Amino acid sequence: MENVCILGAGSTKYGKLNESIIEIALSASVDAIESAGISPNDIKAGYISNVFGVADKQVHIAPVIMSNLGISHVPGLTIESACGSGSVMFREAFANIRAGFYDCVLALGVEKITHTGTTQSTTLFSYCSDFFYEGGNGASFPGLFASIARAYMTKYKADEEDLAHVAVKNHENGLLNPKAHMRKKITVEDVLNSPVVASPLKLLDCCPFSDGASALILCNEDFAKKSGKPYIQVIGSGRGGSPAAVQGRKDITTIPGTVIAANQAYQMAGISPKDVDFAEVHDCFTIAEIIDVEDLGFFKKGKAAREIRDGATSRKGKIPINPSGGLKSKGHPIGATGIGQIVEVFEQFSGQAGERTIKDAEIALTHNFGATGASAAVHIFKKVN
Amino acid sequence: MTNLNPSVVREKFIESVQKSKILAKRCNDCSTIRIATVLYCENCHGRKYKLIEYPGIGYVNTFTIHTVPPEGFEDVDGYAWVVFTLDDVSIRASGFLPGIKKPADLPIGSKVKVNGFDVKHGLVLKKL
Repeated sequence: MENVCILGAGSTKYGKLNESIIEIALSASVDAIESAGISPNDIKAGYISNVFGVADKQVHIAPVIMSNLGISHVPGLTIESACGSGSVMFREAFANIRAGFYDCVLALGVEKITHTGTTQSTTLFSYCSDFFYEGGNGASFPGLFASIARAYMTKYKADEEDLAHVAVKNHENGLLNPKAHMRKKITVEDVLNSPVVASPLKLLDCCPFSDGASALILCNEDFAKKSGKPYIQVIGSGRGGSPAAVQGRKDITTIPGTVIAANQAYQMAGISPKDVDFAEVHDCFTIAEIIDVEDLGFFKKGKAAREIRDGATSRKGKIPINPSGGLKSKGHPIGATGIGQIVEVFEQFSGQAGERTIKDAEIALTHNFGATGASAAVHIFKKVN
Repeated sequence: MTNLNPSVVREKFIESVQKSKILAKRCNDCSTIRIATVLYCENCHGRKYKLIEYPGIGYVNTFTIHTVPPEGFEDVDGYAWVVFTLDDVSIRASGFLPGIKKPADLPIGSKVKVNGFDVKHGLVLKKL
């Protein structure tokens, strides 16, 4: 088994972008290639994650990217797993390096959706649910997470202010991220007074629809060492699944796929949650971050809301969560999100995170899922000095 | 029975919903009961089962009321999307409950009944 490293990373700004899906994808790819100091000819395979390419008149994206990078002979694979596409794709890139099939690959996530408008975007996203039971019965994605939020609030006596604290914290972090979509300081009152989207979730409990692309260069350790460039190591990888429909879960306040993926990743890395210095988690809605940090083992079930209020997940807290601003502030270009989380880890560990740097961090975790957690992935990274 | 044809199973499930019932499967090997659209037993992965129709009456586990509904639901004047557990067996289903405009209209634990299947809105519920 090969040790897997990340040698380069690049990302566009997240937000409403005017360029085409291929243009933003290529922009992030070039940034990653330059960051790694390699030639496109070093890339032996391309892994691309995307969900709604059809909305920008482009599917079969991988070979189009390879062709425009001047490496049309290199095999490409496009992977879709709803909002978890990036991390699910990363796992495949990781596995192929680890198994020795390739020594260097491109992992690129991209999404272009904002031009479709809110109603069409909401409808497209609802196709990621178990449509027979959810989208087809009137549930939007905010609606699905709203139902999860109500179940959590009922079981653990949490309230809407608890949810709001997640948004406030992530917007504070996003202010320090020049590539974030929503760079705006907000207060608990702002969240509570924002319009209801699907009760009990309000507009400021929800991440934005974003365009954007993020890319990584993965390689084996020999390749990384020979490059002479700084790199980080992937020390844990886990994948899990949950019933696709919320109704199929024994406990609506936990996401089984996250727990499965986290246990696998911790076991591979030989660490426990207390060894993690910071994490990028899937906060598509404020309730998601509360459930994530419990499912990942950072807090006991039902206790995260209180800990978040007390600052435990702030940049200087005991387990900083989403220093990038998370999906909530940095943005959520769904095909790119899982890769964007790892770009943040690379920037943190390579001295490129500026004011949002988590001091003395050496171990980081990323967590990303598709839909309401039907597909989930957790990865763990180690700084290499 | 061993019929695993997904189209047949969904057709039968909808037929039951139209009779205000929920179709479930009881595994012949381990007796685990699951909603009928899940093809293999979730416990022992067996394929043989007995179909059982349960009365579509249950209680609300959780719900939401959309202010920004998805396409096809914009013209409904207030509805909840509801997850409920059947009274007669511990399985959950979910559906569309019209006429709910604010959370106070539907306390957790409220009784609901399956009230047919609508081509446009799916499994329709009624508050009891």
